Amino acid sequence: MEFYLEEGRELNPNSSTLILPALSVGNVGQLAVDLLISSLKADKIGCLDDPNVLPCVGNDAYSPAPAGKLALPLEAYESSSSALTLVQQRSPVIKGMMIEYAKNMANFAAANGKKHVIILSSLDFGRWKNIDMSSGMQMYYLSSSNADGTDADCESLGWKSLQDYNPGQRMWKHLDELAEEGSMIDEDFLFEELEDEDYYPSLPFAALFSCFKAKGIKVTCLLCYCSEGDNIPEAFYMAEATSKFTGLNQNQFHGNGADKWIAPFSWQSVYGPPADMSLF
Amino acid sequence: MDDVITDLPPPSRFLLEDLNNFTPRPPHLPSPFLVFSSPNSTKIFCPSILIIALSSPSLHFLHHLSPKTLIGTLILPEIPFSGNSTKPSLKDKSCNIYTLNEKADETIMIALVQFSVTSERAHAVSKLLIGGKINPRRVLILDSVERRNFRGKLSSDEAIAFKLVTSSERGNLTAGDSSVVKGLDYYPSGSVVDGLGAALLSRCELKKIKGTLCVSWPDLGVPVMTLVKSLLVKDVLTGVSYSDDGDYEAEYLKLSRRKDRVDSDLYT
Repeated sequence: MEFYLEEGRELNPNSSTLILPALSVGNVGQLAVDLLISSLKADKIGCLDDPNVLPCVGNDAYSPAPAGKLALPLEAYESSSSALTLVQQRSPVIKGMMIEYAKNMANFAAANGKKHVIILSSLDFGRWKNIDMSSGMQMYYLSSSNADGTDADCESLGWKSLQDYNPGQRMWKHLDELAEEGSMIDEDFLFEELEDEDYYPSLPFAALFSCFKAKGIKVTCLLCYCSEGDNIPEAFYMAEATSKFTGLNQNQFHGNGADKWIAPFSWQSVYGPPADMSLF
Repeated sequence: MDDVITDLPPPSRFLLEDLNNFTPRPPHLPSPFLVFSSPNSTKIFCPSILIIALSSPSLHFLHHLSPKTLIGTLILPEIPFSGNSTKPSLKDKSCNIYTLNEKADETIMIALVQFSVTSERAHAVSKLLIGGKINPRRVLILDSVERRNFRGKLSSDEAIAFKLVTSSERGNLTAGDSSVVKGLDYYPSGSVVDGLGAALLSRCELKKIKGTLCVSWPDLGVPVMTLVKSLLVKDVLTGVSYSDDGDYEAEYLKLSRRKDRVDSDLYT
């Protein structure tokens, strides 16, 4: 993975926290990062080039009147007022190359002095067990702070640690092994049917979690359950949770009045063009 | 009407194997490579502009352009040569590279990408075409709009084209220099281009090369051929001596009318 700085830009050594999405059902992490970049009016500082990420290009995703600024698959932004670096991922990883991608991203974070990585992602409602939704949407987390995945700061925000996380479980252990340089996926795992307990470690956030941990970087995964559909509400929920977790205050956002959030311009067509009214 | 049961999901949604860390890796393929007719293996080509044709109208028009000199080809090892002819033909599965109007500072290089490059291979192919043995001052990529990636309305009766440009090219425009293709709107925000066209433009952006990606719609039909030809003739090839053989319009019309296109390695 190579990092290309924008003309005239430098990495801010004070931006020691990195926020990035992990691919997941509903693209919630990616939508939340879009919302954060847009609302913080973060500046694009560079692009990452990774051969494991499929190519895509588009027009500026954020400006209200896009003037042709090119959007690439992996872009890095900085909000200097918040000392945050955000990486947005716009296209999928080549099938079978998620571990490689996660290792490359971990190397990038380590090489650029990141001390804490926050991964935004989601879990499939179809896989939930014993979830209590009586008080509305619930944020879950997985942290490298403690061996059991818990973290005091996350607990103080009322979040629940990832259910059934067991670092000794075979797939989590295998991920830890894979996160080390030079190791290969155990072929036996490729063809076995995944059991319920294998679901979480099979997901992209888990690969990133294990690889950042292997580099000695503190990592926190923020997770919410959702179904695929209109996932904008989950994106707002995730972005709000991230904002609380990183201690962002209202002044650092650029929304209008009481609403601090600015939806990216590209969201206007996120679900395709409007219906052809001539049908009616 | 779309079949929601069996049709591929829209591009923003994932299959289970897309989100599985333990999905088997794709089979290893040998790297693509360039072969040039020049005996000087260390030569670096620095054309004033490299035109890369991916779309049907651009392939058809540029294939019939002359005089151009075949100087090399890009080999994708997984693409068989069977069925290719000894002289360049539009029916070949090939990626031939030509020069047009070879002058001291104004060489135009043309790459006709006549085989399908998967998204997974696009990164490797783009590195070969730009920034290695070929170091163009400017790049023009001619691709097609993919309906599944476009978030606006497309009519098969109306030929349209959009552009995306690199920062270097945009800076060029701000400074008052003219665009390599004129009169095109930017591709609307929210829509994306993927595949080889995207990989090539990304490569230009990262290498700070002035690059333009022009995507046209539809991929077949006389109106879009007229549009693409007009962009090339009026904007890109001005001042260049060339001719085109008149057959290309008749051939293209036949292709556009043909409803069943067989594209199989079984039939050579």
